Amino acid sequence: MTQIIIIIIVAILIALGSGLLGMLRGGSSGSDKMFKSLVIRVALSLFLFVLVMFAAFMGWIEPNATMMAGSHT
Amino acid sequence: MNEQEYYVSSGTYWPIIGSIGVATLFVGFANQMHGASWGGSIMALGFAILVFMMFGWFGQVVKESTSGMYNSQVDRSFRWGMSWFIFSEVMFFAAFFGALFYARQLSVPWLGGADNNMFTPELWDGFSATWQQIVFNTPGATLQSGTAVSVPTQLVDTWGLPALNTALLLLSGVTLTFAHHALRADHRNNIIGWLVATIVLGVLFLGFQITEYGHAYHDGLKLTSGIYGSTFYMLTGFHGFHVTVGVIMLTVILYRVQKGHFSADNHFGFEGVAWYWHFVDVVWLGLFIFVYWL
Amino acid sequence: MTTAIAHTDGHHSPEKGLMRWIKTTNHKDIGSLYLWFAFTMVLIGGAMAMVIRMELFQPGIQLIEPQFFNQMTTMHGLIMVFGAIMPAFVGLGNWLIPMMVGAPDMALPRMNNWSFWILPFAGGILLSTFFMEGGAPAFGWTFYAPLSTTFAPDSTDFFIFAVHLLGFSSIMGAINIIATVLNMRAPEMKLMDMPLFVWTWLITSFLLIGAMPVLAGAVTMMLTDRNFGTAFFDATGGGDPVLFQHIFWFFGHPEVYIMILPAFGVVSHIIPTFARKPLFGYSSMVYATASIAFLSYIVWAHHMFLTGMPVAGELYFMYATMLIAVPTGVKVFNWVSTMWRGSMTFEAPMLWAISFVFLFMIGGFSGLMLGIAPADIQYHDTYFVVAHFHYVLVTGALWSIIAATFYWLPKWTGKMYNETLAKVHFWWAVISVNVLFFPQHFLGLAGMPRRIPDYSLQFADFNMISSIGGFAFGASFILFTYIVIDCIRNGKPTDARPWEGAKGLEWTLEPKAQYHSFNTPPTRALIEQESQHS
Repeated sequence: MTQIIIIIIVAILIALGSGLLGMLRGGSSGSDKMFKSLVIRVALSLFLFVLVMFAAFMGWIEPNATMMAGSHT
Repeated sequence: MNEQEYYVSSGTYWPIIGSIGVATLFVGFANQMHGASWGGSIMALGFAILVFMMFGWFGQVVKESTSGMYNSQVDRSFRWGMSWFIFSEVMFFAAFFGALFYARQLSVPWLGGADNNMFTPELWDGFSATWQQIVFNTPGATLQSGTAVSVPTQLVDTWGLPALNTALLLLSGVTLTFAHHALRADHRNNIIGWLVATIVLGVLFLGFQITEYGHAYHDGLKLTSGIYGSTFYMLTGFHGFHVTVGVIMLTVILYRVQKGHFSADNHFGFEGVAWYWHFVDVVWLGLFIFVYWL
Repeated sequence: MTTAIAHTDGHHSPEKGLMRWIKTTNHKDIGSLYLWFAFTMVLIGGAMAMVIRMELFQPGIQLIEPQFFNQMTTMHGLIMVFGAIMPAFVGLGNWLIPMMVGAPDMALPRMNNWSFWILPFAGGILLSTFFMEGGAPAFGWTFYAPLSTTFAPDSTDFFIFAVHLLGFSSIMGAINIIATVLNMRAPEMKLMDMPLFVWTWLITSFLLIGAMPVLAGAVTMMLTDRNFGTAFFDATGGGDPVLFQHIFWFFGHPEVYIMILPAFGVVSHIIPTFARKPLFGYSSMVYATASIAFLSYIVWAHHMFLTGMPVAGELYFMYATMLIAVPTGVKVFNWVSTMWRGSMTFEAPMLWAISFVFLFMIGGFSGLMLGIAPADIQYHDTYFVVAHFHYVLVTGALWSIIAATFYWLPKWTGKMYNETLAKVHFWWAVISVNVLFFPQHFLGLAGMPRRIPDYSLQFADFNMISSIGGFAFGASFILFTYIVIDCIRNGKPTDARPWEGAKGLEWTLEPKAQYHSFNTPPTRALIEQESQHS
């Protein structure tokens, strides 16, 4: 589960970076590229949020706050 | 301005005013920390000078831009400038995320005796090398600087405000995207509506963030609560600062939209701020995942 | 040439008086400001070095308190790195890059002004720490925690803010250079047409933007550890002082390439000019520079072999460090091959450039020695390290700055310096600098630690030799100052191209380059004719 989350985060970062490149290019093609990338990044972010909430609800991941007992040694 | 000609800017006082402002701000801040009663006022003065500089400098650039003094080359220079400025911000956050990962994955387990058992697992009575609980059950412990460690009585809540705040901020990304779309499709009224929604969501986020700080502080989680408190507050604090800056920039953009500064195919000011907001949004998502969950 | 000169004094000429310098948005004015600022800082930092060498002239505490000695070593390092070498290269970049890429000015001229005008404030704040209670920072230029957090004087907070300001300045300067190179370049100039100084500065800018914010993060954590009770670098709160070293060197290692890559660029201009041959292996130079820059981000912990690191980490950082020798070797090979069978003459810039190749290589090889983890146990924190980084920074970075000064001074002033005096200056400096730093290798191998005001008797002779070399080298700057000022005041007027073998767009401008370099972009034919690798 953790790996999936991290993969999605990386994908979000790539989409965000691609939006930056679009902004850098400018003009109408750059503007299109920027807008499309940012739509992808928003959609992925929402999906990730829902996924994390759902995974937590199902007990697949736990917030680090509940790693209460014991120590790591 | 002619596309073939180069734009050459006139001389300017704003940079030296900015330098004076930022130096005054820092000198005031340093003296404030060292207990000088006048430090705070000097700091405020420096901040005021900086704000004055920003109004003046940006105002001049906006005026020159709307009066058509810039050609597409100047526009591209601004794009390069903004992009690499944001990249430098990314690297600034990277330093703090790096500190978080290093502490989480390496140094705290090492303190607990992991890997080589060179470190004592017992730094003090009741020490637990568990993330978040690193300073739990350790009343009376002090840092090297002599500062007393603040021991939290409760763990940070993950489900309530943080989850709500994440939803709010992600939603603001959605509304901003709608505003962006409206701008590209030249629907002036829709832009303003979606921009206002984005700003409201940003302000709500900040409000809830302050509330959450209040709760955490009340439960004893402070900057002085060891490495967890340090990374928690510094990461979320710098993020909150960036949200504040983002809200201010969005407000300026809202004003400029009303003034009709942007067109469907020429709106770099909007694009720069929008990307900044998306960046701040993604940083929060990273914070939410890495600070609260994983 | 014709198109450029037709538009002299295009938009406006400089204003008069002090306000010209405060308000200026001209790349040449700002370049000059940077260079004079850096020169002032070299003299201040050099004076501190003289104090250090005076104290070390003989064993025992002679002249100054150990605490003050530590302030001297710390401030000498900080001022030379952040106040002298870096601003000097930004100054050279400002002066030369727009001329070399066929642009009228920098891309963001107002921000260019700001990135300079932050510097005097940062320098002022840094130097003011000397007059504060507890004195200036005394924990070494690397300001390791907890020396810089728990055990440092109050003035450290001013030092932290000075570093923040210097960081702003560097980041803005770097952004400006990227925007200039990528956006203001003459439309007919392809990336692989760019002169190497432009290439190396472009790559350096990416290093600056990646590394300086991390330094800002490190000093911010220091600030909160010192004043707000955070525990980033404090193990009693679950933090780790070693974390500081990781963050610092993640900045610090790219930083050393920030200070040497533009130097590579300068030398790659001077050697072809005086060998009267095109640069050998132009594209391999570009790729080597990029590889060095990339590698610089993944080798930082070779500064920390003795700090405590898993063995796998030591091995990785050792091998990655060794890799850097490959692209650097490519560069040295290319410089030597450029000179091979060239019809060489030895004017002052060429003398500096050749001695750069030779002496920088010594510094590079001692770096390789330091990069071997098991051997580093012997060398770590000794004078061997001091000798190593002074060979790369003084006879490397500073050498190239002086070489560049003599090489482009005719273009900056329209006048020629006194070649005889310049040759005397060169031999004076090159001999004294080796007397100064070479014995420090022996001192380090024999075990003399760095950053100490006193030492055991067996180190006495080499230290005295080193100090004598130091005073002589310090005195050489008096001659340097005289030569430069004499050139500005009384130099003989020169041609637009004072070096017959020189290539580059900057030489097509007027003898004293006009205020705004190119008002119309140079043509393809001109660019090809002035290309470094035709």
